[in-house]
Amino acid sequence: MDPAEKDLQLQLSQPKKRAAAFSSLVRSYQERLYWHIRKMVLSHDDTNDVLQNTFMKAWNGLDGFRGDSQVSTWLYRIATNETLTFLANKRMRNLQSMDGDEDLMLQNLQADTYMNGTELQQKLQKAILTLPDKQRLVFNMKYFDDITYEQMETILGTSVGALKASYHHAVKKIEKIFSEED
Amino acid sequence: MKTNKNISFEEIGKELPFSVPDNYFEQFANQIDKQIGYNSTRSHKIFRPWMYAAAAIFVGVMVLTPIFYTNNNQRNVAKNTDNYETYVLSQVDETALLDCYVDNNSKK
Repeated sequence: MDPAEKDLQLQLSQPKKRAAAFSSLVRSYQERLYWHIRKMVLSHDDTNDVLQNTFMKAWNGLDGFRGDSQVSTWLYRIATNETLTFLANKRMRNLQSMDGDEDLMLQNLQADTYMNGTELQQKLQKAILTLPDKQRLVFNMKYFDDITYEQMETILGTSVGALKASYHHAVKKIEKIFSEED
Repeated sequence: MKTNKNISFEEIGKELPFSVPDNYFEQFANQIDKQIGYNSTRSHKIFRPWMYAAAAIFVGVMVLTPIFYTNNNQRNVAKNTDNYETYVLSQVDETALLDCYVDNNSKK
């Protein structure tokens, strides 16, 4: 464990220094976690809710953090679980709706005030939406954030082999969608 | 990773078509600070209340010491002047003093 990580974990374990250390942790990771969540839930307002839940879960669970992984990995894990839970709950709420999941997410994507970018970028987002949640997660982490399969393995708890296969399938699906469009 | 002649991943790039409200991250961090009961200004204070008290006492001593010292010196000078007059008068007898008084008045 590198000295900075060791020092951070030490401060987080001391009641008097905990709040200050956590505050600087929020400032260091909020942006990365925001984009990790935003790519999955799409809307800014929903991302804001999930990000808040993520940090509050981390704060309330500090005593349970044993330091067997890096703080960043632990935060990513909480953010991922919160995101998947949010999406599952949203799906449950929308069960009675006539629209499918994909349509609802697409509506979410198009309705968001903070959605812009080129037509091609939007086309890619729509294609990504056709993937199952976990495949979408793997594709986003690999394609946009360039996270290594080994890092992904510690965050998602899925083997490197399975992650590689998942990414490969995601790419193939998106390519197929693009070819069908033209 | 070419998909077809029109669309490729390289062409799309890795930028996301999303944006965030202005100052969002600053406000978000402050909001979390509030929720965890952390006040950065209080915790980062260098000066503690006892330091203010010590500084006030120090300034008080620095201001009052010269005033007290000057007053005391003036009192000592006045005391010494009184003593000198008493001493001079004790060395001269009453008749000589009267002569001096009469001489002075007759000259006028």
